Amino acid sequence: MKAIEVRGLSKSYGDKLALDSVTFEVEQGTFFGCFGPNGAGKSTLLRLLTGQIQPSAGQATVLGIDCATQGLEVKRSIGIVPEVESPPSYLTAWEFLYFTGKVRKVDDLEKRIDRWLDFFDLQEARGTLCRDLSKGMRQKVMLASAFIHEPKLLFLDEAFINLDPIFQKRLRDYLLKLRSEGRTIFLCSHILEIAQRLCQEVIVLDKGRLVARELMSDLQGRNESLEQLFMRLVGEGDTNRP
Amino acid sequence: MLREEYRLHVNYSSARVFFSMPAYVFAIAFFFAATLPIMEDSIPVGDVLLFTNAGVFVYGLSVGAFGFLGKTYLERRYGRTNFLVAMPFLLPFTFRQAYASMYLRDVIFYVLLILVPGLGGVLVASVVADFYVSSVLVAFVTVTLSFLIGISFSFLASVLYLRSKALFLAMISAFLAFAVAYGVLALIPLEFLLPSWGFQANLRPLGDDLWQAAFYLVVSVVASFVMAILAVVSVAEAPLGKAQRIKESFPRYHEATRFARSLQSLLAKELSDMARSGGASKMLLAYVVPLLLLSFTTWYVNNGLAIPVGFNTVFYAAMVGSFGIMLYSWISNVDAVDYLETLPVSVPQVIKAKLAAFFLLTVVIATGFVVGIALANDETQLLWLALPVLYITTAFLVIATAYLTGLSPNSVLFNPSVMTRFMAISLLPDLGITILSFSLNSNPVFAAAGIALVCFALLASTLFFYRALEGKFSKAGFL
Repeated sequence: MKAIEVRGLSKSYGDKLALDSVTFEVEQGTFFGCFGPNGAGKSTLLRLLTGQIQPSAGQATVLGIDCATQGLEVKRSIGIVPEVESPPSYLTAWEFLYFTGKVRKVDDLEKRIDRWLDFFDLQEARGTLCRDLSKGMRQKVMLASAFIHEPKLLFLDEAFINLDPIFQKRLRDYLLKLRSEGRTIFLCSHILEIAQRLCQEVIVLDKGRLVARELMSDLQGRNESLEQLFMRLVGEGDTNRP
Repeated sequence: MLREEYRLHVNYSSARVFFSMPAYVFAIAFFFAATLPIMEDSIPVGDVLLFTNAGVFVYGLSVGAFGFLGKTYLERRYGRTNFLVAMPFLLPFTFRQAYASMYLRDVIFYVLLILVPGLGGVLVASVVADFYVSSVLVAFVTVTLSFLIGISFSFLASVLYLRSKALFLAMISAFLAFAVAYGVLALIPLEFLLPSWGFQANLRPLGDDLWQAAFYLVVSVVASFVMAILAVVSVAEAPLGKAQRIKESFPRYHEATRFARSLQSLLAKELSDMARSGGASKMLLAYVVPLLLLSFTTWYVNNGLAIPVGFNTVFYAAMVGSFGIMLYSWISNVDAVDYLETLPVSVPQVIKAKLAAFFLLTVVIATGFVVGIALANDETQLLWLALPVLYITTAFLVIATAYLTGLSPNSVLFNPSVMTRFMAISLLPDLGITILSFSLNSNPVFAAAGIALVCFALLASTLFFYRALEGKFSKAGFL
């Protein structure tokens, strides 16, 4: 069973075609990257794959589950870190993880919460309402919430943004450990240096269309970096540089 | 800010739907104005004007709490949505300017989208109803002034509440003292409480004293202006307090809501949110004030206007149900729900959790109010009918509202097609029970049987709407 299978997936918002007949698949245990300029359709793709929105055409399955018709089942099986860090205003970090764990019916919940608060150095802030946390801390809370049930497949949308270098490294190491355990990670990001170190396979979207699909080993064989690939595919027309 | 507000509403429906709201108001105003001459024998035009101004004043009060609104925008995490009122953190303008803009935005918004179309409807109706255009314009100016006084009063009260509870209490106490002096003790005229009424009462068709009218016009404008200015200068320039340490109480809520089974975690969060956001007390206040206003209105109709209408406990029970709609709006607006996209929960589950929270928070106070009315009127023998009417009308109206509006009742109700269905759903049963309740003294068996029949129909409809939530919202998202 593939971790992700996407066939002719499209999404329109009114007249605007945000995603145009995208097809690809992801093997289990792969660290998979999805890149593209702003407005390329990355977040739309991620939201379609996580059952948050319905496609206009095409089909997608995640761990064999249909994303359009079984959105709740998809969300049960995966972990999601959204683009915008927005934990609930009136719960503390500890309480949000407790809430998440209860919704996901996680065993040994309090131990796991403590582990993740330690991992992200949030114990000091465990009694602070999420609305009063800094952006970076809120991002850590969202990450902990996505990891707490140890899903087989993680969807991360700009997961490294707002984290300081220490926690970027800590997160990177943890994701590599997950990869070595055979878990699948789907990463959308603009931070190509981090993606270069983590991803095994990437796709590049531009204006809603899939314009490239590459194995990182092939890129390395051509002595091309992810940034060079990105600029070659979607940065050529950048004539507005100062 | 006008554009921001416009886009926010268009985001919930569409530009066409947004701009059909004024057309809807125009049609309603036209209908009521055109039928006014028919009703004039039973309801004099002076009473119609008085109730219209009182209603618009209360409406202004309900939409003007910018102190709370702005604080909510600043404190709450809105996920993907950011509001201009928070921009003083980044841009070179002050929070006072931001709040003043918010006040002006809403004044323009409500005057242009509601009051002006209402004026248009009445002006067109004046062709068939034979109103003087000058009288219609006077009524429009009065209504606009009443709205301005209401919205400015609410703006000032909400800002004072955040700056100084003592000043807030002093302001509310002064208002209540005037209300009692006018309504209960009859020591002062209404103009002392609502100066815009002085403008209306001194011009045709109710009076003919231009100087007095001009005086009250100036007083109304100055009062609104002064309250708005005072509110703006009282806005804190460092609006966010320090982060508070909170005792982790969510597990207790979770334990206490075990009965809710699959909704347990969501219900626990709703209750915890209400307690921490201060929403529970504000919500109960918003419930109690309309109940008191209702009591005052019925008292005024029976005693002040000396119209012998048979208001009884069953009538009150049906009315209490209709106040629940506003409370559902509050519960739906306590916090952003973006983060729920990351969890295996559905929109219908969240709506059901909010409904459960609503019933838990209101059942005691609503029951207490109806029992209190029964005791005060020596009508405890009607409680067997009044209490089922209370529970069934409340459940029907709130669940029907949830079905029509989902998680965004405040905004979706601006959609005229939703508003029409909402009015039909909310007015018809209340009207049926109200009319039947008036016959309880003269023909108790007929009235009770009729009310039971209406309740049965409402119960069946309630179950239908509750079950239909799943089908309607199962594929809806939280963003």
